[in-house]
Amino acid sequence: MIKVTYVAHDGTETVIEAEEGTSVMQAAVSNDVEGIVGECGGSMMCATCHCYVDEAWEAKTGARSDDEDEMLEGAASEVTERSRLSCQIKLDPSLDGLVVHLPEEQL
Amino acid sequence: MALAPLDEAITLDQLSSDPYPIYRRLRAESPVLRVASTGRTLLTKAALTKAVKDNPELFSSDDPKTPMKPAFRAHTLMRKDGKEHFVERKAISKALTPKRIKADWGPLYAQLSEEYIARLPRGETVDLFTDLCGPLAARILAHILGIPEASDEQMMRWSQLLIDGAGNFGWKPEPFAASDAANDEMDALFAELEPIRRAEPDGSAYALMLTAEDPIPMSQIHANIKIAIGGGINEPRDALATILYGLLTNPDQLAEVRAQDAWDKAFEEGIRWVAPIQASSRLVTEDTELGGFEIPKGDTVMTIQASANRDEELYEDGESFFVFRDKNPHQAFGNGPHHCAGAHVARRTVGKIILPMLFDRFPDMTLPNPDEVVWKGFGFRGPINLPVVLN
Repeated sequence: MIKVTYVAHDGTETVIEAEEGTSVMQAAVSNDVEGIVGECGGSMMCATCHCYVDEAWEAKTGARSDDEDEMLEGAASEVTERSRLSCQIKLDPSLDGLVVHLPEEQL
Repeated sequence: MALAPLDEAITLDQLSSDPYPIYRRLRAESPVLRVASTGRTLLTKAALTKAVKDNPELFSSDDPKTPMKPAFRAHTLMRKDGKEHFVERKAISKALTPKRIKADWGPLYAQLSEEYIARLPRGETVDLFTDLCGPLAARILAHILGIPEASDEQMMRWSQLLIDGAGNFGWKPEPFAASDAANDEMDALFAELEPIRRAEPDGSAYALMLTAEDPIPMSQIHANIKIAIGGGINEPRDALATILYGLLTNPDQLAEVRAQDAWDKAFEEGIRWVAPIQASSRLVTEDTELGGFEIPKGDTVMTIQASANRDEELYEDGESFFVFRDKNPHQAFGNGPHHCAGAHVARRTVGKIILPMLFDRFPDMTLPNPDEVVWKGFGFRGPINLPVVLN
């Protein structure tokens, strides 16, 4: 199991254990983490699973794809260099302990 | 493993007039059922409908057996999968993102809503379905798409003719003749507006698709706009009428929605309760299994979102309109790659702009005879009249 911490916009932290191979979005949705909607189920069609990767984890989560970049342009909250669509971050053992911050709004 | 049971009793008329008691029975007794009158295998539990939508390789949208192609005179993105679908979807979804809808278009939507609501007479009985829900949905969509030169009447007529054609499973010639005529009108208008949208791009879907760095073919640009016309008027119209019905027949909930400014919750509950798009079809690409039954390749399964949205496993008393549910994981916008492209527009316009504005102007609005409201539709559903007294 891989540990992921979601930090809500108001600072509330939710820590969950997720299975390897699931995405940061799926892990949030199946554990009822507020602040990630992920309505399209990970098809990069809705821009409602926006998150900011914690500075310490930026190198490990990798870079955004071009398609992801384009979808993020339409996200409801501010997009920064640490913005990712959480459906595009797949959990593997190197991400155990990952911390992501959630935007003010997704819709 | 056996094939799913076959039902020869349920009729299309029953499904159109009052499907919910049937769905409740099917969820309990036969959540995977071949229904002869529809020619499809109906799936009525939320886990099944979601599993199908989330697996587009096995449950394909690319179904050549539907009348959608002649109705739209195109193979549209609704009926494509994978990369092909993604490219065309991306081309139009840029006009429909949360950011664009909120920041760029919000003020215009508010202004249009104000104009249409201001026209309604105070103190009289008005059918909001015909006098507000349809025309306002049409006007907003015309602007989003970049064809505001089209009249409300044209938008609504084209939309209905495209839907009638796409639903012409009896393959009769008349609906296709009517949709052909509508296609001619639309193509002519799009051609006329093309140089204007190119010269002065206005952020509309048409302008964005025309001026994209690597544009999709013109035939698909036209097809995308037509899909949006066919799929972007009836749904917000029916959603608005359904939510108004729900609130006006539950005055205590309406009072609480007002007190908490919970219009967005009312929106989500309305579309859960009676999803404007009740059912969708997917073609099975390989022999598989659903709910313990054999589903052969070539079969067409029908996900009944309407029923998934009332599934007892997810909802307590799902048959009732109740805005203040703890959770509302409804499937009214679908799931997977074909998740409704207009979801953000609908949430913003109906949920955040039109509903509060309407109740602000007519705080004592009533629906004196709820029994007079007629509900209709199997594939698409909503009230077809909404006689309210505006005060």
